[in-house]
Amino acid sequence: MIDIAGLIAENIIYLLLITLGGVLISVSVHFVPVGGAPAAMAQACGIGTGTVQLAAGAGLTGLVTAGAMMGVTDNILLVLASGTVGAMIMITVTMIVANWVYFYGVGCPAASAKVKYDPITKDRQDLYISQGTEGHALTTVSFISGAIGAGFGGMGGGLVYYALLKIGEVAAGLTVKDIMSTTGHELVGLASIFAVGIFFMNAVIPSYNIGGTIEGFHDPKFKRWPRAALTSLVVTFLCAILAVVTLGGM
Amino acid sequence: MDPLIGMGALALMGAAATIAGASEDLESDIGSQSNPNSQVQLAPQMSYPHRIYNKAISGEPPSNALMCAIGGTVAYVMLNFNLSAVLALTIGSLVAAMVHGTYATTAYMGRCSSQKRFKQMVYLDVLRSHTPPIMGYSFITTFTILVVSYIMVTVFAHPFPLPLLAFIWGITVGAIGSSTGDVHYGAEREFQDEEFGSGLNTANSGKIVRKAESGLRSSMDNSWFCAKFGGPVTGIAFGMTVFLSSWITVVFDPAKSVAAGWESVIVGTLIILVLVVYNRKMEVSARKAFGPYKEDKEEAA
Repeated sequence: MIDIAGLIAENIIYLLLITLGGVLISVSVHFVPVGGAPAAMAQACGIGTGTVQLAAGAGLTGLVTAGAMMGVTDNILLVLASGTVGAMIMITVTMIVANWVYFYGVGCPAASAKVKYDPITKDRQDLYISQGTEGHALTTVSFISGAIGAGFGGMGGGLVYYALLKIGEVAAGLTVKDIMSTTGHELVGLASIFAVGIFFMNAVIPSYNIGGTIEGFHDPKFKRWPRAALTSLVVTFLCAILAVVTLGGM
Repeated sequence: MDPLIGMGALALMGAAATIAGASEDLESDIGSQSNPNSQVQLAPQMSYPHRIYNKAISGEPPSNALMCAIGGTVAYVMLNFNLSAVLALTIGSLVAAMVHGTYATTAYMGRCSSQKRFKQMVYLDVLRSHTPPIMGYSFITTFTILVVSYIMVTVFAHPFPLPLLAFIWGITVGAIGSSTGDVHYGAEREFQDEEFGSGLNTANSGKIVRKAESGLRSSMDNSWFCAKFGGPVTGIAFGMTVFLSSWITVVFDPAKSVAAGWESVIVGTLIILVLVVYNRKMEVSARKAFGPYKEDKEEAA
């Protein structure tokens, strides 16, 4: 019989770290400028795909880089920084290439319909919107917002993975080095799958706030983030308890 | 690890990822998956029945993740039986392509037959001629992603298991394909009769082009068109993502010292800053090239 209360008390710091990671992921999604299907037809400003899809794509790339870093060091700051940078590289590359397609393949400039002037570059927006659309491509403010969002997402994913692996490590009486020296250790598999699950769950919650399209931190919908953060706090905490019992009870 | 071997393996990974990105985008164009599918689905309702292959199995990232996870799992099991890596990855990809072909067929039949009331036909010749290329592209995507994941596990000693890495790269390639190459198909190819250089006017939604360069347009023509720009740039995007995110830790190996780990983070940040500046330059040049679409009423007044 597993002593659940004892396990939770023992791993309370990691429990809180997982919850914090979940909240970070949930907030990060609000930064990512997604335009959904309309953006794919150059009908709305943003990246032409779904909220969860893009946030997950970027954040999970961060998880891969954070996982690689965790394989060689258990310095938490380095693991988090590596997750952040990995996710940011993925999203900036994607946004650059998306802008190539908008500028050179479709032939329309970047324009946002939510603001009259770009808050960062002060460029006029409304004159550059083609008829019958809500803007197109990615303006500088959306680009920077997307990079920040992916960074937070990668950091959150890295944090969740770090905490999960630490829980397993304590339970198995091993150090990270021991775990990494055996290829395909079951703890790594379990921790990474839990991290992916927690990531997806927290990427889905904000999509109810966003409702298909958001342009970044200058979008009025961005102000709704506290609601998603609160929901994520509760849901991730419950998930974290489950994770502690599963990984700690191994 | 010898840095030269590391760089060689990294180059191979980047090349495989570039092919994966390009084939993923062309697979989604030929099957009309992802966001531009909304127009293909809407067209019959606007009295525009068509011969475009209509399969939106799911969003692109989950669909590619499924394919790659199936391929990765089969390959992983076979590798555990000490089969050669080439055979294991090939058979894994083959199984994934067959599963994907099954989904594509049922999606096409289901989607088209549900639109009977809008006089949309189920074209069996379209099904017969388009499903094999879809499976072919999905085979290439799965195989190349498995190559990337296999190199990460064996050469770079990534701690994640092979199927999970394949799953994650599947999600990423789908997210990139859906954000970049699909725009070329959705905003340009589907509405080629509209004037070049504008987004899709909402009033024209669903009025997709149904005539090809010769005869009636099928999804093969769309794949041909997108292979000129949308597909290759998607490949570049995914190749760059895989290459750059690994390059920084191969050159500045964190296994050697913590300081090298921080150097890799700094170099990664520098790459991001360069991309931000490049994007700004490109935005300004596009604004100049295409000019304002409307007159400034405030100034005129």
